[in-house]
Amino acid sequence: MKSLDPRVERLPEIGIPEQPQSKPPLDQFGTFEVFVQPKEGKPFQHEGAVHAPNLEMAYVLAKETFTRRFVCTSLFVVLTQHVAVSPFADQGEHVFTLLNKASAGGTQESYEIFALAKRGKQHTHVGKVQATSAQAAMAQAESLFAAGAVVINLWAARTRDIRFTSTEEKDFWTTLPEKKFRDASDYKGGDKLKEFLERTT
Amino acid sequence: MENEALIELLYKMADDQLILGHRNSEWTGFGPLLEEDIAFSSMAQDKVGHSQALYTLLHSLGEQAPDTIAFLRSAEKFHNCILVELPNGEYDFSLVRHFLYDTAEMIRFEMLRDSSFVPLAQLARKIHGELRYHTLHANTWIKQLGSATEESISRLQHAMSFALPYALGIFEASPYEQTLIDTGVFAGERQLQERWMAKVAEVLASTQLQLPEWSLQQAVLGGRGGRHSEHLAPLLNEMSEVLRIDPSATW
Repeated sequence: MKSLDPRVERLPEIGIPEQPQSKPPLDQFGTFEVFVQPKEGKPFQHEGAVHAPNLEMAYVLAKETFTRRFVCTSLFVVLTQHVAVSPFADQGEHVFTLLNKASAGGTQESYEIFALAKRGKQHTHVGKVQATSAQAAMAQAESLFAAGAVVINLWAARTRDIRFTSTEEKDFWTTLPEKKFRDASDYKGGDKLKEFLERTT
Repeated sequence: MENEALIELLYKMADDQLILGHRNSEWTGFGPLLEEDIAFSSMAQDKVGHSQALYTLLHSLGEQAPDTIAFLRSAEKFHNCILVELPNGEYDFSLVRHFLYDTAEMIRFEMLRDSSFVPLAQLARKIHGELRYHTLHANTWIKQLGSATEESISRLQHAMSFALPYALGIFEASPYEQTLIDTGVFAGERQLQERWMAKVAEVLASTQLQLPEWSLQQAVLGGRGGRHSEHLAPLLNEMSEVLRIDPSATW
């Protein structure tokens, strides 16, 4: 061992002649995209990603990473590579003009469609379509939107690649609204500090 | 008699939750993965919350205030099983304990949904979703690591062999078993243990882990009667350290 500092440990050996080698893969899990429904009837929103060895572990880990505070009624996860991403349209323009509408043959499958209305916002679930590919699903998704709706980017994920929350599992979040102690603001630290200062000065 | 039986049941359940919640919270900041650190910490917090709910029920039956009984009793007054007070050691042991204990906890609260002591039945219904997540978490990890690599399988197997005799101590019979059964408060440790053994076997069957022979397991008893290992007193000292500095302070 060269050092107890891991950054020093990661430095390459210097001045040792050897053949060029391929870069070794990182010893890390892959990522899964996490979508959360904050309230019944509201659309699912993309919240971020978790690292996990497989889809089921991703679901288990996403549940506490993304829904341990505030409110939640449902959650789902999908492997990052299983999310197809459309080209980006400029703000105010329409993504559908950038999509290749040519439809290939093949088996129809169900796809979930997510839309981005503005840069910097989250992708939001808009519905599902039947299509033979992710590309065809995005082209068909135009029918899900009201005329004139602004969409600058689309994601499509095959329904069967997603780990959804089952109906029985919805009670995971029954007691969540009571867990205000997980929210820093519930401790009213500023008020307590002010009170303390007034008492002691 | 009926009240004594109920109080004994509530104390052992509450003490299990508090002590295991505290042990599991010792992993906060040290978990093997960021996401797992958060999940394990959240579940530890849930367990402390369950203990608070149970201590509150005890208070309504004439016992002292929840904070007093949680923090100011000495070790021999605690009724938790020895399994929950054992030090964490490696994460494999903590995961196996989480699996063995939470499987029993889930079944116990399912049985209590029909308890004749209505506040306990209401609590059991209320926290069902939390317990469903805890057991999903435990089962998913056991299935994952129980079929992953030679190292993960042998670590879990080793931890399982060590933990099982202690886990059987969860079901140490109370002097009031028959009263609890007759009054419809709780259907008893024996029925719970049978259902637990079936569930543990079912989860392990989907892994490469071997279930040790039940008949060769010698249950480690004593905890329910206040006879603990040397590990409980230091835990209690640490847990109540801040409170003892100034018991009258408000937070």
